[in-house]
Amino acid sequence: MKVVGARIPRYDGIAHVTGRTTYVDDVRVPGTLWVKALRSPHHHAGITRMDTRAAEEMPGVHAVITWQDVPLLEYGHLAALGIPADEPLLAKDEVRYKGQPIALVAADDEEIAAEAVSRIDIDFEERPAMLDLRQAFDPESPEIHREGNWYKHFEDEMDRRQIRKGDIEWAFENADTIVQGVYRPAAIEHAPIETQTCQVVPEASGRLTIYSCTQALYFSMGVVAAHLQVPLNKLKFVGGTTGGGFGGKVDTATETMCALLAMKSGKPVKWRWTREEEFLCSSTRAPWHMELADAVTRDGWILGRKMLTLHDAGAYSRFSPYGLTKHSFHHTGAYTIPNLQFDGYVVYTNRTPTTAMRGFGVTSVSFATETHMSRIADVLGVDPIEIRLKNANRIGDTSPNGIVYTDPSTVSTIQTMAEAIGHELPADYRTMTSEPRTGALLPEHLVAQTANPEEH
Amino acid sequence: MSFTVNGVTHEIEGFELTPLLDVLREELGITGAKAGCHQGGCGACTVLVDGEPKRSCLVPAGYADGASITTVEGLGAPEDLSPIQQAFVHHYAAQCGFCTSGMMLAGQSYIAHGGTDDAEAIQEALGGHVCRCTGYSKIIDAVAAAARGDSFDLTETAIGKYTTMATGGAE
Repeated sequence: MKVVGARIPRYDGIAHVTGRTTYVDDVRVPGTLWVKALRSPHHHAGITRMDTRAAEEMPGVHAVITWQDVPLLEYGHLAALGIPADEPLLAKDEVRYKGQPIALVAADDEEIAAEAVSRIDIDFEERPAMLDLRQAFDPESPEIHREGNWYKHFEDEMDRRQIRKGDIEWAFENADTIVQGVYRPAAIEHAPIETQTCQVVPEASGRLTIYSCTQALYFSMGVVAAHLQVPLNKLKFVGGTTGGGFGGKVDTATETMCALLAMKSGKPVKWRWTREEEFLCSSTRAPWHMELADAVTRDGWILGRKMLTLHDAGAYSRFSPYGLTKHSFHHTGAYTIPNLQFDGYVVYTNRTPTTAMRGFGVTSVSFATETHMSRIADVLGVDPIEIRLKNANRIGDTSPNGIVYTDPSTVSTIQTMAEAIGHELPADYRTMTSEPRTGALLPEHLVAQTANPEEH
Repeated sequence: MSFTVNGVTHEIEGFELTPLLDVLREELGITGAKAGCHQGGCGACTVLVDGEPKRSCLVPAGYADGASITTVEGLGAPEDLSPIQQAFVHHYAAQCGFCTSGMMLAGQSYIAHGGTDDAEAIQEALGGHVCRCTGYSKIIDAVAAAARGDSFDLTETAIGKYTTMATGGAE
């Protein structure tokens, strides 16, 4: 325990304050070509014609790539976990979000690359776009994804993440009142100060050196190797220095395309997204739509919860099924609710694909469940802190997915918070601990969900 | 045209309207100023032009003709950190580090113009700088410490010493 409680230096602190930290944009490789992308101007459209010849013939242009240059066009970010691929590296015959990459140019400088992009001849046939996840989930809405408007590949090919616990019918029959709420947090752009940047250098050995700002270097290695259909030993990744990511640099946004351009041109290439591209085209935190109905008693017990969650994946699934799974495990928040009916769907829209961001899948459900706890307190006319303590997770309580809590900290956290805001608690709440439920805190309806932590 | 960067005079070949940021980074290879937005919005490209903080992405190179420019590299080397650099290390005011050079140069200019440790005044001076890791309170603490003239023994507050891989590795 040399470190806990001690001040320790940041390993990169002095490099940061002296300008010596080498971010990808600071790597200097002579003869580097600059990359620009042709991106979809539409939320949803068919590509009816594309001709890149005028761009290829421009002086100063060294390589142009389209879907035809990608050895394996579709590879999912979570393919290794059995989540099927649904996203092409470069759009082939349709675009499903505004900003989706279609073709890329590597040229002597940024201006030539941008001019060449503008010379790519392309025609679109616009299609209806779904930009709201609740609307996309409506069975009457037009289908915007080839699998339908939501993900179909949870375990046993279920089309939703489902949790059933206890006896939900009993809870709603025995409630004094039902408290309902709908919660819809919006998309959030990570907006790192360093935009997505990648530099790839083709080595004489035939390997590629890939300077990446990724937060997930080994993920990115796997994704690049799969698309390129090359073994991992052909790729040398240089990473670990990220100018802000917050989850947004978990996706492999640039590395594969730069690798293809370096291979095709035989020259080092670099792609640095503009701030506008970062805002419009990079993945975001997802919008969510959450509907809660809680069966509650007059004295502040939550007997049961029904919850419907829609998670906006944007145009493709990427990490969304994983994020929704985490979300489902947390859908009772820091509280014990014995009877549950949870259904969560990963819904496709024509928004930019969504991804991880600080507390992937969980911040949304915390926002909904905490707001809902206060709403329940309002409806019942009880103290919002006391109702939290009463229902707080305790040793021996079980989570929605059946995990037995052995060291929950809800009680002490809420007590500390109450003290910090000067909220007076009655003695029995002030002295409450996380010890297993007994007496008044173990009403009949909570008996069945408790377990002996010693046996787990 | 020519200008001085961190005490070294450079003859500049390029077009006068090329942003100073691009001349520094691409022509001179001085990369401490960062290209966060290229539109004057984030402050990461800030350098001092004759002591005044300027967004180098919005400054045409010709404007700096004859000027003396300071970038983060000119504040102090790892073995000879300036007070504001020491304060940023001590207060953990750099997280990802991408906004740090701009923040420090704005803070340096604020202090050089007689700025005090008043938190509101520091916020005003750094108002044009975005930190997305949201380390603002630590950054303000660091500028305040440097404004007060706090001194730091960076070896005593740590296990071992404040060292980096760049300066010789952990002890």
